[in-house]
Order: sequence, then C-alpha cells, then structure tokens
Amino acid sequence: MINIEIDGKHIEVENGCSVIDAADRLGIYIPHFCYHKKLSIAANCRMCLVQIEKAPKPLPACATPVAEGMKVFTASEQAVKAQKGVMEFLLINHPLDCPICDQGGECELQDLAVGYGGSASRYSEEKRVVLHKDIGPLVAAEEMSRCINCTRCVRFGTEIGGATELGQAFRGEHAEIMAFMSDTVDSELSGNMIDLCPVGALTSKPFRYSARTWELSRRKSISPHDSLGSNLAVQVKNNHVMRVLPIENEDINECWLSDKDRFSYEGLNSTERLTKPMIKQGGKWLEVEWQVALEYVTNGLRQIVHKAGAEHIGALATPHSTLEELYLLQKLVRGLGSHNVDFRLRQSDFSADSKQTGAPWLGMAVADINHVDRFLLVGSFLRKDHPLLASRVRQATKKGAQVNLIHATDDDLLMPLANKEIVPPTEMTTVLAQVLKALAITKQATLDTSVQEAVQSVTLSASAQAMADSLASGERVAILLGNFAQQHPQASQLQLLAQHIAALCGATFGFLGEAANSVGGYLAQAVPFVGTAHGMNASTMLAAPRKAYILLNVEAELDTHNPQQALAAMNAADMVVALSAYKHHATEYADVLLPIAPFTETSGTFVSSEGRAQSFKGTVQPSGEARPAWKVLRVLGNMLNISGFDYNNSETVRDEALGSADVSAKLGNILHGMTAQATTWNVAELQRVSDVPIYAADAIVRRAASLQKTRDAATPRALMHSVELTKLNLKPGEMVKLTQGHGSARLTIIADDSLPHGIVRVAAGHAITAELGAMFGDIMVDRA
Amino acid sequence: MEKIANFFKTFLLLELVKGMALTGRHFFARKITVQFPEEKTPQGFRFRGLHALRRYANDEERCIGCKLCEAVCPALAIHIETEERTDGTRRTTRYDIDLVKCIFCGLCEEACPVDAIVETRILEYHGEKRGDLYYTKPMLLAVGEKYEEQIAKDKALDAKYR
Repeated sequence: MINIEIDGKHIEVENGCSVIDAADRLGIYIPHFCYHKKLSIAANCRMCLVQIEKAPKPLPACATPVAEGMKVFTASEQAVKAQKGVMEFLLINHPLDCPICDQGGECELQDLAVGYGGSASRYSEEKRVVLHKDIGPLVAAEEMSRCINCTRCVRFGTEIGGATELGQAFRGEHAEIMAFMSDTVDSELSGNMIDLCPVGALTSKPFRYSARTWELSRRKSISPHDSLGSNLAVQVKNNHVMRVLPIENEDINECWLSDKDRFSYEGLNSTERLTKPMIKQGGKWLEVEWQVALEYVTNGLRQIVHKAGAEHIGALATPHSTLEELYLLQKLVRGLGSHNVDFRLRQSDFSADSKQTGAPWLGMAVADINHVDRFLLVGSFLRKDHPLLASRVRQATKKGAQVNLIHATDDDLLMPLANKEIVPPTEMTTVLAQVLKALAITKQATLDTSVQEAVQSVTLSASAQAMADSLASGERVAILLGNFAQQHPQASQLQLLAQHIAALCGATFGFLGEAANSVGGYLAQAVPFVGTAHGMNASTMLAAPRKAYILLNVEAELDTHNPQQALAAMNAADMVVALSAYKHHATEYADVLLPIAPFTETSGTFVSSEGRAQSFKGTVQPSGEARPAWKVLRVLGNMLNISGFDYNNSETVRDEALGSADVSAKLGNILHGMTAQATTWNVAELQRVSDVPIYAADAIVRRAASLQKTRDAATPRALMHSVELTKLNLKPGEMVKLTQGHGSARLTIIADDSLPHGIVRVAAGHAITAELGAMFGDIMVDRA
Repeated sequence: MEKIANFFKTFLLLELVKGMALTGRHFFARKITVQFPEEKTPQGFRFRGLHALRRYANDEERCIGCKLCEAVCPALAIHIETEERTDGTRRTTRYDIDLVKCIFCGLCEEACPVDAIVETRILEYHGEKRGDLYYTKPMLLAVGEKYEEQIAKDKALDAKYR
C-alpha cells in the first residue's frame, strides 16, 4: 500500500492506482474527458493535468501512477493554469454554438468550460471542419467538428464491443473519427458510444432534437428484453417516453446498455398500439367498453368450460410478461380447472418438466462471469441473444479465460475461441457425450448410470478431447446453455450431459435465459406442472388444438416454436382472447383484443437469469384505454368468481408469487430420473436451424423503428453450405422456396461455408418465415 | 425651546397648510395626463410588450429550438416542441406563449442566442374570450413580420450595450 497526499488530504491506496482514482476515493474531482473507469487509459485530452510536488511540469492524473509520499495539488496555481490552457486549446476547434447542439445541457465540455475555462475566446482564426458521417440508424455522427478526439468511442469498440468499428484516422490537425471496418457501426452495443461521447459529436439518432435533457424526468425501470435485467432510466416528458439510459449497476449491466434495451422504447409509441378493447362481431372488429369486452370473455370462457370441459382452455404467455401477469394468468386458468398454461413458447422438448430441482437459471451471479477461466458454451448466439453478457465473457477472455463453443452456426463472437465444434443440431448431444467421455477418462471417474450407456457408444474426436482438456485445466469453470440449446428438440438431453460434465470438472452450470422473465415464469408457476397436477405444455397445447386460448403478449406466428401449428390451432379455436399492447396479426384469429400496458406503463417484477427479482413501477400513464395486464386478469378473476383475486396492488401479487424476496431456494438446474440416450432423431436430407434475430425477439423491439433499420434487422435470408448449394444446383443470391409441412417461405439463399453440411439456417420470429414449421426439423429447398 | 414650538404646532395646523400647499402647487402645474389612445407616452427601445418571433432577411426562421427561453421563463408561459427538419437542423413544431401567464420580464429575449424571440413595443393587444391570449407560433411569426422594421431598429439601438 502507498501513502499519498492530495490537496492536503492523506489516503492509502494500492500500488498501481492512478492519481485520478485516488482523488476520486477522497471525493476530489479532477476534470477529465478521455479518462473512463471502464476503458483503458489514453491520456490524450490533457484535461486532468495536476501539479505534483517535485515534478517540473503538470502531469495527467489519469496516467500517473501513485508513488510513496507523492503530494498532489489539483487546484494549485500551476494546475489551474494548466487546466485553463488545455480548455482553451480544446475550444479552439470546437464550435461555440451550444444552443444548436443536441448535447447542450448534458455536455461534459460545456460543464467543464464553465468550471475551468476562460470567460471569452481569444481565437479569431478559422476553425477546423470535420465532415459529418452517416454511421447507421442509431448513432448520429452529424456534427463531427465537435469531436475533441478523446477516443472513448474507439476504445469502447475495441475493448468492450470487441471490434474497432470506429477508429481515428490521420494525424494532428487532420485526425478524425470515422467508421473503420464498414461504413456503419453495427455493434449491438453501439448506443453506449453516445453515452461515452463527452461532447455532441456522437448523439442518439432516434432522440435527436426531440427534447432537451432538463425537460425530462428520470424514472427507474428494468429491461423487459434479455434475461440480464438491465437497470434502465426511462426519461419521460409529457407522459411520453423520450429515451432510455442505463442506470449504473456493477452487478448487472455495469454502466452499459445494449441497443435493444436502449432504443426499443420507440416501439412503445408505435402507431400499432392497441388502445381500446375490441370484439369481433360477424367478421368485423368493434371497439367496445372494457365492461362489455370482459363480460364477453367471461361468458365465452364459462360456456367452453361448461360444454367442452376446463381442459379445453389453454393459456400462453411470453417470457417477457411480468411475474405478476404470469402468476395471475396461471391462477386464473387453474381457477377455471385447467392446468394448460405455459410461457416457454419457443421450447420444444419438455421432458425435463418436474424432473428438475427448481427453476432453471444461470447457476451463478452475472458478476462472477468476469472471473470464470473456462467456458463451455452450448448452443448460443451469445452476442445477439445476450449482448452484455457476451461482453462480460469477452472481458474474461482478456484475462486468459478459454471459451469452448458447441453450436450449429459459427457466428463471430468477437472473442478468441479456444475450441469450437460446429455440428448439426442432431449431433450436439454426441459432441457433449464425447466431451463427457474424455473428461471421465482424464479424471478417471466412473460415470453415473444415467449417462453411461450414451457415453460408451461415442467415439472420441480430437476437438472434444481438446475441450475436455481445456475444461479440466480450469479453476473456475462455467457451462452455459444458450437459447439455441433450450429450443433444441433434445434440450433435456443436452442439459443432462452438461450437468454431468459440470459435475466432473467442478463447474457451475446454467442457462442463459431467453427473456426477462425466463426464470420468473417458473417462479410464477406459469408452467403446466405444479405438484402432482399436469396440464398441457406450450407444444402439446398447440399440437392438440384447444377450444379456447388466452394469449398474453403472444403473437402466435412469431413467438412460438412452430408458427404453422400455432396458427392452425388459433384458427381452429372457438375463442381466442388476446391480451396485447399491439394490434397485430391476432386480428385474423382472435375474438377479443384486450389492450394491455407494456412495461413502462405498469408496475411489475422481472426475475433475471441470475435469480434476481427486480420490481419496477410504471413510468408513464397507460396509452388510451390500455390497462396493466395484472389488473385486467384480476378483474377477470373476480368476474369469474374465482376466489383469491382481491389484490389492490401488484406488490401483493408479487409477494404471493415469490413468498420472500430471496428466491435462491427455488432455483435449480439439476435433473433427476432422466437417462441420456445415445440415439438421435432421424432427419431428412436437409434440416432447419433457426436463430431468433436480435431485433425480432419480442413485440416491443419488432416495432422499434430505428432498430428495424439496422443490419441485424435486415430481411432474413436462408444460409447454406456452398457444397449443398451446388448439390441443389442453386446459385447464391437466388430466391428459393423453403417448405416445411404445408407452408413455405421465399427467401434469398446465401452461401455460408461455416455452416455444417445438411443445414439450412432460417431465422424464426420474423413475418417472412411465419408460415414455416418448427424451428428445428426437416425442410425442403427449391428454386422459387 | 422645542416644547414651545410643539405647543404652537398643536393649534396652528401647520401640517394642513403644508399639505394644501403641495396640492396647490400641482393644481397650477402643467398637467402630465396623457389622453390615451389619442396621445401616447414615449417608449424606450427596450420596452417589453407583446412577443414576436423573427425571421432572417431570407425568410428563414431565426428560432433554432434550443429551448433556453422555455427553460428560463419564470412563469412557465412558453411551450416548445421540436423535431429534426429534413435539412438536419432543429426546428420548432410548436412555439406557444401564454400571455396570460407571462409577466413580461424579458428573460426570454435575454436568453435567446439568435434574437428570435423579442418583446415589441406593442401594448394594445387584447383578447375577447378565453384562449385569445394564447399565442401560437404562426401568430408570433405574424407579429414579427409586421413589426420587423421597428424591432430591427430597437435591436440595433440596444446592441452597443450588449
């Protein structure tokens, strides 16, 4: 430890600490631009110059490590003179037209110029002009003359985002920031550059010029998208969500936010919002009062229960719904006498149901990911499905962590991979079994009888051996099953094998939950198995059509594993009640549309994949006559005379659903009473592999206009290995007709040689592929 | 001595005489009453009357939608909404001043970096029903267009003090 003195105050800090950090701990502010606690030190803005005893010249506080007995003066005559001089230099080329700039009012340069600069400019020569650039639909680089070349955005891209998408070209007077790799910035974390930019050079395109920072009130919320549970500051003006910023939480999102969390707010103000209850009468939609709509629903449900039986009622919800909504939905359905309720809409293998010790979760805290030194990722589009978690894994690799990947596609994760095995989905269990076998041999362990048979039959491959060696050499090992592994037709097999691999190498093993409430859904008991009772799960409910469906936030053709089957089931049903914030395709098959409030307009709780229950309050009033879904379900419960529906606020619902705030006892990934099977399923020549594109994953992002203009939201194309293309006599770029079951889709076909043979990669969750069948399975490709 | 003076003051009604003398002086002095509206009092070039939004000579609106006037307004009388115009500049889609709330302090004019919002010499405006004194952007621009000559003159006179 080192003793230093800053402005006469003593502090003891560890060796290697910088002066600016030490000052920060003492609560002494040193002005700075290029320094950022999460980024590397650049020391190019020179704003943090301080006087240090015995140093002949002022030194930058961010790049000066502390030394024993160092005496620092942050406000001495020399320091102040240096800071004032630097500020004058910075302002020489910076336009002095703050009223025009979008950053005005929240600009670090503006604040520091007032605090540390002179009162008037002495510069009358010509200023430098840097041309504006178009770097994509999210980040505006319209006023690059304002840039002070702090390179925070460049360092962010390189260090956090994983790719140097922005870079600094040319030197000295001509230095400018520009897009490096392509014309645009396509990172799924690009919005953070807006926050990092200390001036108005990079601003938010969707928010641009729509409001000033001082007009906005700041309300806390939780992200409803991925399972990380990012903390949001929703900024509101006139009951209108204007933009979303991160709230710093070191355990969850640090100070970052993925673009999906940041820009999805545009979907809240979409013109597709449903604002009045509607009933279909004689093929026409009528806007009605809530009372009429709710009576229609209760009468309809009563009749179906009376005529066909309660088991003919099915309820489906998305995992983006709040805990309270999911809890009341299952309580309503169970109150009617049915157990057909599920929120795992994209899952296809339910054989692990009720064999699990608890709700499947991450298996560790999110913050611990940074300290893991060996990863085994199974079936995960990590960067697109969990952008900020991917960044944490990336940080771990910088400290020497090895990442092993078993997946069906070879998307660039922008991090070094120690080993990867890109195989068709049918072979994923085999690869896992090989890794397990190799580990068992290395560790000389006898395997549990439940997996023995499956493991014996496989032959070891070199890469499986390498993976096993990598895992065995680690101290902190994590095995993570991604969205793809959870949607996989053999999900429970993958889980079982991963569980045994984890047991052999002392690893934590868990799931990267698909959505904000993937864990919360289990805790809310929105699953068909509770106690001894067993209802129908999301898959069987659609395979054997029910007479009535209650849909919560669901768009049947986009949110389900098999859209074809889902649509058929909806069309065949006597009654479909859709609780939705949007007027969507349900107008074709539903009988009642009930407008409900999205996350900004209701209170609720999301349980993130690490089992953290985070409650939030509404930030704005519901749009039109929309109402929070928990209130709608509560009233429906009352009208159906189901007891125990007398809640006055969402907190009571949450407390009833969760019991206590500590949910750790209810989490568990371990499977009991399952046997691993060596066999896989039979496939035709070509099988489908599906990802859910990042900006097609839920109803809100699908309507976020700016996100929909990004490259990630481009119209999906079908991808195949070029050898398979020649076999079918197709050329890349041609339109093809993909057929699954009785539905088809016309897409452009593209060659992708990183895919395994026999695979067609087609995105799910998109209107263009909504007529196709299951996300995995046989598919036919013909020239269109 | 003082006691004697006070004694005489008690019955000589000196204060009354003093007061009447003041009244008498004004009675015979030149009258300053102005016969409004036929006659008008002189106004300074910084007179703070009805607001106006100005344009440049090339017909472009001056206002850049920075919202400083809205922020500074102590009576919260200004309401502005902005958007990005097709040429990439920020422009107001709404610029309303509620003259019923306005206290004519002139801070909006003071805050404006482009001399877009000004207070003119006009004081004889009125409203006949509720809402008449809620001035919207077209109304304010119309005022500006009509009196631009006078406004420009006044601004020029004030310029050397800024």
